[in-house]
Amino acid sequence: MAVGAAAPARRLAAANVAGAWGRGGGRGQVAVCAPDEDVLTLSAEAAARAIASSGLQNDIVDGVWWGTTRPPFAEGPSHSVLASALGLSSHSGGALCSGSPHAGMDALLAAADAIAAGTARVAMVVAADALVPGPGTTYEERAGAAAAAVVLVSDGGNASIAARITRTHPFLDRYRADGEFGTRDVYDSRLFREEVFLPIVGEVGEQLASLDVDEWSLPDPDGRLGAAIGRKLAEGAPASAGAYTAVGDTGAAAPLLGALGALDAARTVGVIGFGGGRATGIVIDAEGPVRGAAAAADAWAGGQPVSYAEALRVRGQLQPTGETIPMGVPPQSAPFVRGAEEMLGLLGARCVDCGTINTPPTIHPYCISCGSTKFELVPLARRGVVHTFVVNHTMPPPFEAPLPLAVIDLDDGARVMLQVVGDGSDMQIGARVELVLRRYAFERGVPVYGFKARAVSGMRSTEESMGAPG
Amino acid sequence: MSWNRVAVVGAGLIKFGELFEQSYEQMAAGAFQAATGAVDRGFDPQDIDGVFIATQRGSLWGQEGIGGNTVPTAIGLAGVPCTRIENACPSGSDAFRIGAMAVASGVHDAVLVIGVEKMRDKSTDEGLLSRAAAGHPVLTRGETAPVLFAPFATRHMHEYGTTREMLASVAVKNHHNGARDPYAHFQNEITIDDVLKSAPVCHPLHLLDCCPQTDGAAAAILVNADRAGEFTDKPVYVAGFGVATDHPYLHEKQSFTGLKATALAGERAYRMAGVEPGQIDCAEVHDCFTITEILDIEDLGFVDKGKGGVASLDGETSLTGRIPVNTSGGLLAKGHPIGATGVAQLTECWWQLRGEAGERQVESRHGYALQHNVGGRGSGVSVVNILTTNP
Repeated sequence: MAVGAAAPARRLAAANVAGAWGRGGGRGQVAVCAPDEDVLTLSAEAAARAIASSGLQNDIVDGVWWGTTRPPFAEGPSHSVLASALGLSSHSGGALCSGSPHAGMDALLAAADAIAAGTARVAMVVAADALVPGPGTTYEERAGAAAAAVVLVSDGGNASIAARITRTHPFLDRYRADGEFGTRDVYDSRLFREEVFLPIVGEVGEQLASLDVDEWSLPDPDGRLGAAIGRKLAEGAPASAGAYTAVGDTGAAAPLLGALGALDAARTVGVIGFGGGRATGIVIDAEGPVRGAAAAADAWAGGQPVSYAEALRVRGQLQPTGETIPMGVPPQSAPFVRGAEEMLGLLGARCVDCGTINTPPTIHPYCISCGSTKFELVPLARRGVVHTFVVNHTMPPPFEAPLPLAVIDLDDGARVMLQVVGDGSDMQIGARVELVLRRYAFERGVPVYGFKARAVSGMRSTEESMGAPG
Repeated sequence: MSWNRVAVVGAGLIKFGELFEQSYEQMAAGAFQAATGAVDRGFDPQDIDGVFIATQRGSLWGQEGIGGNTVPTAIGLAGVPCTRIENACPSGSDAFRIGAMAVASGVHDAVLVIGVEKMRDKSTDEGLLSRAAAGHPVLTRGETAPVLFAPFATRHMHEYGTTREMLASVAVKNHHNGARDPYAHFQNEITIDDVLKSAPVCHPLHLLDCCPQTDGAAAAILVNADRAGEFTDKPVYVAGFGVATDHPYLHEKQSFTGLKATALAGERAYRMAGVEPGQIDCAEVHDCFTITEILDIEDLGFVDKGKGGVASLDGETSLTGRIPVNTSGGLLAKGHPIGATGVAQLTECWWQLRGEAGERQVESRHGYALQHNVGGRGSGVSVVNILTTNP
């Protein structure tokens, strides 16, 4: 077992949300996506960190089990885009679980079952959400974004799932009808607390507690319920409190995210996920530190403040007037079909005769250096150095300015030109960058993904934050 | 094989600008009348036996129908052979080159080369987006026109110590010249401070480092040189030309301190004309951005590599400098209606060689003027034409 986490760098203060609706107060903060982030990019980053921590090659992963309340395509290739971006084999399997914040637990248990059944030897579990609360709901101040990833292996790990229990109860808490955009609030918070949440989460927790749980990851959808349930089960704050404080309620990601930090030593950790009329609890028995666990909290440390208006805009809840100009290349069209693997898998064509890596492969039938027509497809290096760059300040919607772009010499000798994450203030010739998946555009109603460069700086770098596989 | 010598006996353009009130066809007619009206001894339009029309904006500009058939009808030449040339920013200069070859080959006797471009019928945002969304779906996304040149500025500054003031001096000089050109889009002087303080467009380029979006049209009449005397006592001849291509994507470039296509096209044109860079009296070069002119004057051999910024700041390319560049105001001040640009630059060269450039007139020493464009994705194509008064 190895783990990884990811969270956006942007933080929205609850007080800003409360103030916008004429309420006083508002405690804490939540993580919200940048315009080029969403649940899929967060998932890709967490999964890449988990794979890096595991020391395994991504092409031996048998599948990705992905749990998220709201996949990026309501219907569409959500799962295959993620698998491709993770560099998994085109024969890889897995499942997409969605529909409520319980999806993260669904994905974890489905992956564990596949391992137990012998249909998978290495399973990637990703639980992620970038919640879209209806504007004005009470839980808007609490709705965050993050991803947690776990690599499960059939043998050789030092942690295992020792027990599981589920309790179902059909009722409406937070929900969204077909065609609605924001998620609705609970009807009566007292009703929810007394008749739904505390009874069923409590029942699951008490059963797990019989297994001598050392640390807990407990659901806390409103900033108070977690403490209430915690008083029944734990001495002191649960292990999940830190993640909730930093990034808010992260829906499907929350149970795993809250548990990661506690897996840094030999411990028994109780994890409860809740949503969609279900509560599921598991116990993870760690015989020693799980790879990646000690650094997991780095993923949600720090952050930069953003305004409520900006958060609304990024979530698609604040729309400009007038018609937007469609892009010249529709995301359903042939160039995207031809280019799918090279864009999401970040492939290059290495010339068999001179070694030059031509990118992207489909537009280079002849080598740009020697004219050869013999190539082998290779995954590009994910790190490099800036050769030159610009910061584009004049970009009409759907682009956002400033938009830095850089010509990058990758560590494998390939040269690429990519957009850069951020406002360009950290760009300079010679700067080290890493390539990360980002949402390039939201075009004709669907996301378009590709890689961007990001300056390598301390904790937000995958390699630096995770360290060598332990 | 021997080629016919080609003479330019007429050239002209319409006042460049945001010509919202003129149709594409009306702009074409205006340029045609300017070129025929400039022929010293008069010109019967019916003498034209071939038309080459340069228009760059294609399907995204709603001009799918502007093939070779649109312009002849619009200018009263229905029935005359006409072909549309599209070769990115050098479309106009390439139409001129191809027109010259048509006359040189003997297939045509008198050819009209005309460049027409409607840049402002679509909003500037839509113009930016069409570029940003072209090419590979993801790898080139976000590349507006300045993104194709600004990386060269970043690298040129890094390697040679070129400064923003040096870049700005190009805009100041070209606006100075444009203020003396009645056909220029912008006819106002600016200062280095104006450029430095203008809004950032694409770091390190600011607004006044960039050419405007301009409508315009320009035309030239090319005849077999044997017939030049029928039209004028002051013929200007086509001395040579060159065209070259380079990798279309920026990440395929080896170097970001020069444009290979420009250097190759220049070498070919110099060789064909039998001249050296030092024999050029004045040049109209592609200054879509200030950095582009600095790269051009290096790549065309007017100054040493890396010295373009210093030379510009020192006034070597001014009207009274060692090698006057963009006496018309260039793309920066005169404007850049893409298909028309090259033909308009050649018109300025024609005026300079005939001594008709007014306040902008430069000294004639060797009787050669050079015209240059570079463009396309990643500056992947360049055309250089050299005109001369030497028979």
